This record gives sequence, structure tokens and C-alpha cells, in this order.
Amino acid sequence: MDEWIRRAEVWVRQAESWIRRQPPEQIYIAAAVVALTVLLLIIASCFKSSKPNTIVLSGLSGSGKTTLFYQLRDGSSHQGTVTSMEENDDTFVLHSEQERKGKVKPVHVVDVPGHARLKPKLDEVLPKAAGVVFVVDAQDFLSSMQAAAEYLYDILTKATVVKKKVPVLIFCNKTDKVTAHSKEFIKKQLEKEINKLRESRNAISSADITDEVQLGVPGEAFNFSQCQNKVVVAEGAGTTGNVSAVEQFIREHVKA
Amino acid sequence: MLEELLIFTRGGLILWSSCRALGAAALKGSPIDALIRSCLLEERSADASFSQDNYALKWTFHNDLGLVFVAVYQKILHLLYVDDLLAAVRREFSQIYDPKRTSYDDFGDIFRQLHREVEARAEEMKKSKQALSSRPQPALSQKKVGPKGRRGDSRGAAANKGGSGAKDDSDGDDSGNKDQNTLANGAFKGQENGARKENSLARPVVVKGKENGGPKDNGAFDVSKLQKLRTNKKNVAADNGTKKLTKPDTKKKGKQDRVWDDKPSNKKLDFTDPADERGDEVTDNVAVIEGESMMDKDEDLSSDSEDEEVEDGPKKKGWFSSMFQSIAGNNVLEKSDLQPALKALKDRLMAKNVAEEIAEKLCESVAASLEGKKLGSFTRISSTVQTAMEDALLRILTPRRSIDILRDVHAAKERGRPYVIVFVGVNGVGKSTNLAKVAYWLLQHNLSVTLAACDTFRSGAVEQLRTHARRLQIPIFEKGYEKDPAVVAREAIQEATRNKSDVVLVDTAGRMQDNEPLMRALSKLINLNSPDLVLFVGEALVGNDAVDQLTKFNQKLADLSAVPTSRLIDGILLTKFDTIDDKVGAALSMVYISGAPVMFVGCGQSYTDLKKLNVKSIVKTLLK
Repeated sequence: MDEWIRRAEVWVRQAESWIRRQPPEQIYIAAAVVALTVLLLIIASCFKSSKPNTIVLSGLSGSGKTTLFYQLRDGSSHQGTVTSMEENDDTFVLHSEQERKGKVKPVHVVDVPGHARLKPKLDEVLPKAAGVVFVVDAQDFLSSMQAAAEYLYDILTKATVVKKKVPVLIFCNKTDKVTAHSKEFIKKQLEKEINKLRESRNAISSADITDEVQLGVPGEAFNFSQCQNKVVVAEGAGTTGNVSAVEQFIREHVKA
Repeated sequence: MLEELLIFTRGGLILWSSCRALGAAALKGSPIDALIRSCLLEERSADASFSQDNYALKWTFHNDLGLVFVAVYQKILHLLYVDDLLAAVRREFSQIYDPKRTSYDDFGDIFRQLHREVEARAEEMKKSKQALSSRPQPALSQKKVGPKGRRGDSRGAAANKGGSGAKDDSDGDDSGNKDQNTLANGAFKGQENGARKENSLARPVVVKGKENGGPKDNGAFDVSKLQKLRTNKKNVAADNGTKKLTKPDTKKKGKQDRVWDDKPSNKKLDFTDPADERGDEVTDNVAVIEGESMMDKDEDLSSDSEDEEVEDGPKKKGWFSSMFQSIAGNNVLEKSDLQPALKALKDRLMAKNVAEEIAEKLCESVAASLEGKKLGSFTRISSTVQTAMEDALLRILTPRRSIDILRDVHAAKERGRPYVIVFVGVNGVGKSTNLAKVAYWLLQHNLSVTLAACDTFRSGAVEQLRTHARRLQIPIFEKGYEKDPAVVAREAIQEATRNKSDVVLVDTAGRMQDNEPLMRALSKLINLNSPDLVLFVGEALVGNDAVDQLTKFNQKLADLSAVPTSRLIDGILLTKFDTIDDKVGAALSMVYISGAPVMFVGCGQSYTDLKKLNVKSIVKTLLK
């Protein structure tokens, strides 16, 4: 141990003498350069973290998020998709805007897998979200209504979503199919289900207030307009390319 | 023939599909989605294959690029070249893969070529083995050929039964082999052995025709003998089953009070309180005193995972070399690199009371997902393995569907019927105790509960439930002892529907998973009453037996059900959690083997000791 200390002292003395030998201007210039770089980095990081520009695509497994992701990016869903095991994360210029003249700001879109076992991934991404698109399968809606409502309820009651007033778009996908439900029907059904959930969940978690937020007005039936963040409903179809509603939503909330 | 070969990214985009490229018909149903949901996401990626409907699927990963290669073929065909083909396709595709590209139409030609090559290789191997073994075999001695011929032919016959493509030559040729494989693989292996054995001997050839004829005759005789033996065994087993069924009945009927010393004792030995309303005054209403059930209390999560400071000895040696490599260059993870870290993890898991085969399967699955991946710079192998294992454990323990019972109860209430929960499990795990805890919790949420005493076997079971019902002040439906539990349950549910009760909790007798007649009775109860929730009660102290219990319970419920869509175990109730300090592995074993989520955790013996499972803390404890 003592040996190390002694050697260190010797080195320190050598370094000091070497520094003394340098002309003073050089030292000042070197110090100034270092300070300037540090300052620039701090300023840059300040600017970066001010506005999140991530759009999160969420929804149940099989609702069409990955198809929607590739439609937004490339304008076609290529050869089809299977159940996602990982998220699709990419920053790109929307396909429909690629022909636009001038500088178009790229959008960061994250497609989170909908499988119940991969739910923790959503919790990782939500804090950075500027907008959430909740994709609902309009064709197969009734059988998955409860699960969809629960998922949506979880998103709407996350503290980060409510505090930052993150806007939510409920996108009714697969409306090109004949048996698809209308968006008004889906909206009403979701409101009803969330209302039921509100009652049963509030009954349980009187102590669990860290993440959960009270939704809506107690005593009244739940309505999406009661949410603090903006919730809109739109419809379209991922496979045919009818995704203009989503693009509009993105452009509204991620400044171009 | 190979139905389809699919290449897709882990994010879900299909990159290339042999069906579309070669214009073949699409697959029926969606076996790929089923594979992902029930196998790959369940951490069973180390399994050999997966079957769905009449398709069998095999897969391989390219972990570095995040690609999955799946081959689908008809289940009844045993294609040998699938593994080879998958490896070859992976090799070729990873060379042309580009993350920006999404269409790979040129791969179709490469694939066709590879397919042809691999098929040709497989054909060659088959032919060479046949050629070798079809060469005349020496007669070792007449005595030897006899029994060996029988063994070989019984196996050959079994291989034929298995539906493989073994040709008739292979029957006779299999004589003189020792392996007991019944797959097509086995048939070829057998031929190989036969060839080897024949090569080692230098005996001259005896008449070929007679050789093949002789064992064949013996074989023909033996196939029928084997079948007879098999059916005999089945009959014997059935007889045993029925015998067991009748035995307990006769035993129960015949039991009389023992009389000692010739003195007819008139004293009853039944000290239970008379079941009239006066009993209510004796016990207080405990609901007020005991306070809030722990189900409704949120657990404090301690701050984020601490890095482990303790490093095992063998890991230190690997530390320096791996450190070097991780800074120096691209370090691709090989299986041999992962082995020591995985072995250490497996030992750690087993020390936390995870069943041995579950720990093994998990480690293999993690290895499958890490092989071929490039290590990030400045990361150790052990930390990569640790993170991967943590992800896997989190994935397994996260429930597949929502476990909000209160919501389901409300939904059932709207439909006008009570929500029925059946508690099943082996003897002594705490079904009746935890049933009372669940009733207490439900009562706190203003739901009306009815207890159904369907444990008509154990002495004192009905009285136990009666006491709980009195303390909680809820109705109990009981019919005494020695009644058919299925009928008691049905009547209890009818009574509850009449009284507009919200929940019915059905208590059953404990039974061993191997006891055929008792399992049959349980299956009858479940099928007759179609409960909303079948809750398997398992204790946290159980070790490797958890795997056996759950598999057998599920299997018996599936086998012995009359309807095609059988009810399996929907949820797990883990009891005696306070008795294990941090050996929480039983939760993992049970969830992994059954796929059912843990809905409640019993952590004490009073009414409030019922908790929810905290997944993150369990994962942290398991990997500490």
C-alpha cells in the first residue's frame, strides 16, 4: 500500500513540474476549450430533453399495430406480420410526407407488443410519449372488449400520462372488413366497460395511489371527455393504407 | 413435405415466406401465432418442436440480427432434414440480410437450391444406411438371432406403428440391434448399428433369403404377441381402476363403531355444536376486528435492484478473459461461453427451491435466446445472462390474462348467476383455510358469499367450514358426509342462484394426483358444474413435486372430461408463503409448468393473511 502511495506522489510531482514548464497561454487555451465543450454539451442536452416526440402504438395482440407501423413508415405492410415478441422502434419521416417539399421533421414511433406477458415494455416507453395511439380491432371487438377496456384503462390511469396530458387516439382498425363495428359503437362500449372497471378498481386500491389516478367524475357515468388528457376516436384500416387519421394525429402533436 | 418456411423479425414483420415465394397454398389456421404465444413467449424456446392441429413446427433463432426461422410440416411425416435446412437457411439469409430491406424475393432461388441439397443429402444418408444393412448379415448363432430378432422386430413393428416411412427391408435388417428407439430416426440408427455390428464380424454369409425370412416369421409372431400383451396390460389397468373405485365405497359402508369390552356405549363421540342459530352468539363477528385484508394493501417496492457483490470463484477466472475480449473485439456468444454462467444461475435457482427440470428448461431457453448474439462492449457474459434471465422470469410470472376477480364477479352478477370458484389440491395444502380468507376478502368488497362444503370425506371438514361461516356470518350449503361432491356442488349453486348470492366458494377434498378414482371424481365435479374459476391450491414449501402435481392434475382434467373443450386449472393459490424465507421458487415452477397465473398468496393463518403476488420482488429474490 505504502509503495503505491509513494509512487503516486512521485507521479504527481512529475506532472506538476511538467505543467509548470509549459507556457501559460497554452494552459489557458486548453482549459478554455474544455470548458467550452462542457458548456456546449450541457446546452445541447437541455434542448434535447425538452420535448418528447415519441408516438406509442399500443393495443391488444392482433389489433394491427405492427401493420400500422409499417404503413406509416413504408406505405405498405409488406408480406404480413406475426405476433410481435419485441417492440419496433424507428425514427422516420411519414411515408405520405416523403414527397413534401421542404424539411419534414422525422417522427419517432414505437410499436409496443400487445401480448399480455410483454406488458412491462409499455411501462418503459410511456414516460417518453408525446402521444399514444390505442389500436382496436373493430372487426373482432366484442370478444376482446373487456381486455381492450382494461388495457386502455391502465394507460389512462398512468401518472405520467395524466400529468403530462398526453393525448390519446383510439384508432378503430380493420374497418375495411364488412363486419367491422362503427367507431361510435366502439367508443360507447369502451366508455361503459371503463365505467365498470372504475367501480371495481376503486373498490380495491384505496392504498395504491402512486400510479393510479381517479378517472372521470365519481358518481357520473364515465365519458372520454372527462379525462384530463385529450382522447379522440378515429377509424381506418392498416392493410389498405387508410391511415390518414393517425397521420393527422401525429402531425398535430409532434410539431413538424 | 415441407409446408412452409417462414423468416420473420422478432418485432413481427415477415421477411420471407416460402409459401408466397413458391406459390404454394397458405397454411390453415395460424400455427405460427400459436407457436409464438404458447411456446416462444412462454420461455420454452429450447423445446425440440411444437405441434398444432396437424402441423409440426421447428424453429431456430439468429439472436444477433433478431431473426426467427420457422419450418412447418405435416405432423405425421417425420422429416429428418428440417434441422439441417433451418441451419443452412439461417446461414445463407444472415449473409444477405439488411435491416433496411424488407423484401427478399431473390432468396427464393437460394432456398430452392438449399432445399434440394438438404433433401438429397438426407436421401443419400438413408440409402447408404439401407445399402449397408441390406448386405447379407452373418448368423451369429441361431439362439442369438432369435431373441435379438424379436427385440429388433418389435421395435421395427413399433416404428411402423409410429407411421414413419420405414420400408419392409428394415424389419428384417434390424435384427441384432440393441437400441430401443421407435422413431424413424431410431429405425435408421438401428440400421446403422446393424451395419456396424455386421462389419465387425468376419463370419461368412448364410443364405440371405432364409435370414430375412427367419426373423420375419419370428417378428410376425411377436407383433401379435406384443399387441396381446399390450391389450392385456390395458385391461389389467382398467380392472385395477374399477377395483379401486369399488373398494372405498364398500369400506365406507361397512364402517361401524368399534365396541370394546362388550359394553354397548351409548355416548356419541360427535362433539360438534348443534347447527342451530343459537350458535351465533358464541362467536363474535370477526370481520370488524381483524381489519383490512392484505390483498388490498400495496406492498412497498424497495428501490431498484442492487448489483450483486458476491461473485463465485469460477466466475472470477472467466472475468479477466471475458473482460479482455469485451473490450478488445467483437465477442460473439458461444454456447460454451454461456455454460458456466448458466450453470451458476441454475444452481442459484435450485437453491431457491425451483424444481430441477424447470430450472434446466429455463436455462436452455435463455441459452437459445442468447446464442450467437454479440456482446456489447464493456459487458460481462454473466451480466448479460443475468439480464436475459431476469427478462425471462418477468415474462413468465406476468399473467397472461387479467386476474381481476372482482371485475369477473361483477360481470357474472350482471348475467344473473353466481361466480363459482372451486378449490382443488393435494392433501394438507390449506384449501379450507385459504377459502375462508378469500371469503373474508370478498366480504370486504361488499359481495355476498356462499360456502359449499363438498369435502364429504375428511372428518371435521364440514364442521370447519361451518365454523368459518358462522364467524364470517355467511350462509353455508352442506349435506354432511359421504355424499357425492358433484351433486352437492350442483345443489349449492342452485341454492345460491335462488338466494341471489354473488360468489360460491366450493371446497373439495384433498387428493393425490396419482389417485385415479379421486381424480375422476374431481373431473366429474368440474364438468358437471362448469365453475368460473378452478383454483389450484399449492403450498410454497413443495419442491420438485409441484411439477408433478400440476401436470397430472391438468392431464387428468383434460383426459377425463366428457366435453372436447376441457376446463383446466385457471389459477394458482400459493399457500404457506410466510414459512419460506426467500426460497420462493415454488411459485416459478408452478406458473411455468401450468401457464396459470398466481392469483392469491396465503401468508399466514388468520383471515387477513392473503396477498397478491408481487412479480418484481419475486424475480429479485430468485436472482439474489
